[in-house]
Amino acid sequence: MEKLTDEILMAKVANGNLDVLKVLFERHHKHVFNFLHKMSGDRMLSEDITQEVFYKLMKYGASYNNGKFVSWLFTIARNSLNTHFRRVSNTTENIETIHHKILLEEEQEKDYSDLYFAINKLDASDRELVILSRFQEIKYDDLAEIIGSTPGAVKTKVSRALKKLKTIYLQNS
Amino acid sequence: MEKNHIVELLPEYLDHLLNEAQKKTIETHLKTCNSCSQELNALKALWSAFESEKEISPSEKLKANFFEQIKLEKKNSPKVVSMSSTAFQKNRNWTNFFLKIAASVVLLVGVYFFGKQQQGQISSKEIAQLTNESQAFKQTAMLSLMGNKSASKRIQGVHFIEEFNEPDEAIVRALADRMLNDENTNVRRTAVEVLSEFTSSEIVKNSFIKALKMEKDPGIQITLIQVLGKIQEKKAAASMQYLLEQDDTQPYVKEELELVLPNII
Amino acid sequence: MKSIGITFLALQLCLTLTAQEDYTQSLAGIEWVKVESKAEIILKTHNEKQMRIKGKSTSKIPQKANGLKLVGSGGPDNTDVGFYVVKEGNNLIVRNLRKWNNGSAEIYLPANQNIAVTTNGTGQSDIRIYGFKGEIEANARLNGGIKIENVSGPVTANSLNGGIDISFTAIHQSSPITVYSTNGALDIKLPGNTPANLSLGSVNGEIYTNFELKFPVKDDLKSISVHKVKQAINGGGVSLQLKTTNGNIYLRKE
Repeated sequence: MEKLTDEILMAKVANGNLDVLKVLFERHHKHVFNFLHKMSGDRMLSEDITQEVFYKLMKYGASYNNGKFVSWLFTIARNSLNTHFRRVSNTTENIETIHHKILLEEEQEKDYSDLYFAINKLDASDRELVILSRFQEIKYDDLAEIIGSTPGAVKTKVSRALKKLKTIYLQNS
Repeated sequence: MEKNHIVELLPEYLDHLLNEAQKKTIETHLKTCNSCSQELNALKALWSAFESEKEISPSEKLKANFFEQIKLEKKNSPKVVSMSSTAFQKNRNWTNFFLKIAASVVLLVGVYFFGKQQQGQISSKEIAQLTNESQAFKQTAMLSLMGNKSASKRIQGVHFIEEFNEPDEAIVRALADRMLNDENTNVRRTAVEVLSEFTSSEIVKNSFIKALKMEKDPGIQITLIQVLGKIQEKKAAASMQYLLEQDDTQPYVKEELELVLPNII
Repeated sequence: MKSIGITFLALQLCLTLTAQEDYTQSLAGIEWVKVESKAEIILKTHNEKQMRIKGKSTSKIPQKANGLKLVGSGGPDNTDVGFYVVKEGNNLIVRNLRKWNNGSAEIYLPANQNIAVTTNGTGQSDIRIYGFKGEIEANARLNGGIKIENVSGPVTANSLNGGIDISFTAIHQSSPITVYSTNGALDIKLPGNTPANLSLGSVNGEIYTNFELKFPVKDDLKSISVHKVKQAINGGGVSLQLKTTNGNIYLRKE
């Protein structure tokens, strides 16, 4: 079981073998969690959304189209995070963002590096590209699939984002 | 090779993604070009920061919770969702017209005569007076209801459109705004249903198409798809295709889309 | 006289001692109490004019956390019972900071308070509301169900996957009642003499009722094999809308 590809495992899940999801969870939950955490800076939120992402795999496994599993996984993670932020900004929950900032300051010793703060200064779409391409090591082709673009355009965007990041990072360190 | 071009290739150089020939060109260039060497050093610093960035671990609870969820899911064997044809039964009931007016009186009184909201205080004379009130008066009442803090009151406001024979643009736009932006799901859904009586309006059609892209509630998505399918709105095809391609679109919504899409293209 | 005074003092002391477990908050100037939670949440009425959140011994705080505050994604615990409470204009925001598996909580409010309750839990996150006379808004955004009993005011309820059960003691004629769900079943009980304008609809489910709707009777609860019903009962009245996409609807006469 451990040696099978993600795609084969996910196909099993889609056919109703839910226990196989445990293998996929062990393989990928850390990546999903770290992606969300770098995007949001919020541990609790990232744990909740990670759980939600894997729950969606289980619930909507039937809609898996046999494409590259990792792309699909990060597409769902990304959508879930966006949905969350949209929900938060739609309702009265603006206080949440304030507290999230306070939390950042309290926890920074532990969880956050200079690089994290530099990345955080990028706007959300650049940040996402940098995190996915550098930390999750997702290739341009797959990245294009995730954000709904072409590999060529993604490559240009990533290199621009890296350029911005480099400037910010070197200024601050 | 041009210098700009060299700078562009440096990230890939560091990632070992270049072929031998490219690598050679770059290395020769670096020996003579100071600014490019500096650029390379800056990138190296960033790259090593990437390398040394620690991956953090979620708490153990995450795994425990999720595994428990799997267990739960296995117990509740999956529901089979079947599609059956949907009978649209259009059959408006006006028997409570008087009560509706009475309710609107309560509201108008609330708006215009502060402190006199109790139903009991309103005489039948006042009701008679108000039933004759102008369109503008009703419109004010409707708009003020739709701005109420209570979702139930906003829904009442949305239903108020049934009092108009030909609602003007301001009313339709206010309704479309509720449909697109109200924080309460029931208000949005009621607005979709009410607006579906006015599909000849371009404003309504366009806001349906917009709503289809924005709305996350599957119940509302299905209602929108059915309405747009019924009027065979071609402009909706792109929005439907978009929704069909989204991974977080629920499977039964996709089924509905697959049913409706071929009929409108 | 003195002894009465002492008894009184002792009584008060006892009260304050037990009250330490609970969190209370004045409701002066509050129009809506808005509760947000990821875990099961239970709202009941009491005769006090304030809000009381039960400090539950079951939602245990680890020994190591002694002297520390719980930090949730929704804000800091400013109540000592695992909640973040803040006033926003006329609203009182009451946010449960605990997670679904140990966050079940009980909140007590005056019966005429307007309440809006939202749960957004991946696990068990039901909303239960008992005995309120004011307006009720309940939204179970993910997997929770909704149970509302012994109420009479306008209800606006919505769920994604969970079922919605409501039993009304009477129905206020002031403003509409809407109960919508995507995947859940709706089970609604009304007094038989309620005047209302019914509008029932299910896309993929069935509708059952023992109200006298003009359809041939098969059983005690008859199944209506259409997907939409619009009809006035008892001469017509307030709008009562029950809609679900994939669940059944059960409308019962009390």
